[in-house]
Amino acid sequence: MRSIEVEIRNESGLHARPAAAFVRAAAACTSAIRLENLTAPGPVADAKSIVGVLSAGIEKGHLVRIEAVGADEDQAVETLRRLLAGLGEPVGP
Amino acid sequence: MAGRITGLPAAPGIAVGPAWRYRPRGAGAIPVVAVASGGEAELRIRGAAAASAAQLEGLAARLRGLGRGGDAEILEAQALMAIDPAIVDEAVRLARGGMPPVEAVLEAAESSARILGTLPDALLAARAGDVRDVAVRVTRTLSGAQLELPAAPSIVVAEDLPPSLLAEFPPGLLLGVALAGGSPTAHVAILARSLGIPAVVAAPDLLEAVRGSQMIAVDGESGEITVDPAPEELRELADRQAVRGSRDRAAAALRGIPAATADGRRIPLLANIRSPEDAARALEAGAEGVGLFRTEYLFLRREAAPSEAEQATEYRRTMEAFGPERPVVIRLADIGGDKSIPYLGRPEEPNPFLGVRAIRLAHDSRELLLTQLRAIWRAAGAAGVTPHVMAPMIATLADARLLTGLRDEARREVVASGAACPEKMVTGVMIEVPSAAILAPELARLVDFFSIGTNDLTQYILAADRGNPSLARFQDALHPAVLRTIAAVVTGADGAGIPVAVCGELAGDPAGAMVLVGLGVDELSAEAGSLDAIRACLAGYDGAELRDLAALALAATDAETVRGYANELLSARR
Repeated sequence: MRSIEVEIRNESGLHARPAAAFVRAAAACTSAIRLENLTAPGPVADAKSIVGVLSAGIEKGHLVRIEAVGADEDQAVETLRRLLAGLGEPVGP
Repeated sequence: MAGRITGLPAAPGIAVGPAWRYRPRGAGAIPVVAVASGGEAELRIRGAAAASAAQLEGLAARLRGLGRGGDAEILEAQALMAIDPAIVDEAVRLARGGMPPVEAVLEAAESSARILGTLPDALLAARAGDVRDVAVRVTRTLSGAQLELPAAPSIVVAEDLPPSLLAEFPPGLLLGVALAGGSPTAHVAILARSLGIPAVVAAPDLLEAVRGSQMIAVDGESGEITVDPAPEELRELADRQAVRGSRDRAAAALRGIPAATADGRRIPLLANIRSPEDAARALEAGAEGVGLFRTEYLFLRREAAPSEAEQATEYRRTMEAFGPERPVVIRLADIGGDKSIPYLGRPEEPNPFLGVRAIRLAHDSRELLLTQLRAIWRAAGAAGVTPHVMAPMIATLADARLLTGLRDEARREVVASGAACPEKMVTGVMIEVPSAAILAPELARLVDFFSIGTNDLTQYILAADRGNPSLARFQDALHPAVLRTIAAVVTGADGAGIPVAVCGELAGDPAGAMVLVGLGVDELSAEAGSLDAIRACLAGYDGAELRDLAALALAATDAETVRGYANELLSARR
């Protein structure tokens, strides 16, 4: 099991476009991955579920915990960490 | 039966072709899927989910190819929903427990949709509809029910269409869309615009008039649907199309050039937006800022008021998108009245448009407005821009003083918290209540600008509920009673040297924009999609021509006459 805690820094949190990117990256891994909002706790979400990730209500400034269990768990956690760190939402040209 | 029906324009362009009636099948009409075992049910459910996701990805790719990435995202998110394990695994569990597969999928999706529907964020809650739409698509694939498609290229005629249905029409088969219901802002209208398919919505008489597969013509710009068009009507439509094509190309070429009359009088053109997501479209359309940022989306459909931090994030995002050179005028929440908010705990009112609405909430729900103002100060401090704000429903000088008092109090609180805070907030009032228009000369000395909301001003001047369809004839802002009021407001503002903007629908209509500029209005703010047409229109006339038009309009006694004068000038130039 590998886990990591990350603070969400992009403006709109994990909504719409960032949520879709996150779920796509998670779904590409074979490990089971869970996502938990530590700042506004609720049910722990399956990181491969768009409904689950949207329902976690993750906003900018929230601290989240990602936990992966499986063959590619190290790589899964690292991929998602980098994705969250690099999420920037270009708004307009 | 030949005839002409009018609805609302939803996607521009003209289409002519046979009508093809689409009738939705309710979930109950989807054929029963017989399965021999739980294992077979699982395989079929997983297969249908994957196939549906692939279809949605296919349409999204088509939209991306058309350069409409923003719209493609609606469908990409739907594709993820189709294979969402929370839904698929639950459906499989239910089916293995003996539930028929179609019901299992619908039931599993419904529980997810319900979870989304209760989220406080209105944008997220709206995704519940997407989940339901996707579930019906998956069950259709599951049962092998072919979506009936027309045999030849056709105009689809229906009460309403689920947004992703357009995905299932092979390119070329769908010439146009005509709906009895729907609205121009619904997802189906947005997708039709992306795909370049002409569409008219909200045409109540449509299903009565189009009973078979007769020829119909849809004009997605005027909102007209012609049933069994005569040869001369078809020729007229073709001419119209050619004229618009050259006009639109010329108008788009002016984007990025500041709007002005032919003799060089600058008229800044700004956009009306409903959320930060509209910023990109507004900038793309050449908006010189935002003249009306409606903030109601933050307050509606939730259980508690949005926090200061949440609001500040949204305002900052929008301010940063437009940068320091393009102002973003934030309208304080126009809530209460007909947009009731359960968490304010207000009693229902018999006459909400004349009730405790907007700035009038400051007496009982003072903190609501103070929080919003603090969030605006904070956002502007963080974004490094000068904040612009305006309050709706101002009726008296006391209302305006209440606004500036709250503004200053909010600033003191933000400064005390140690956060970065600008020195000044450009503060305006909306002119939509007749008393405010009458008091314009005195009001103008208390604030930095006026912004006229023509929709409400018209409803209050003519005392006709704008939501009541049997009073629709009163809801024309070109009525001389409204125009004379606007002229008096401009005079009042000039006395104090403050600018006047118009952010109502009148500003987005070429005839209206011409009259308003002629009346001396300084700025116009309209939906992003109208800006090209307004910019091109104003560039065709000298200020003096528009002043003459306004003088004629002020002397008229009904709206039709005014529209006639404006159309005469419009056709003289084209």
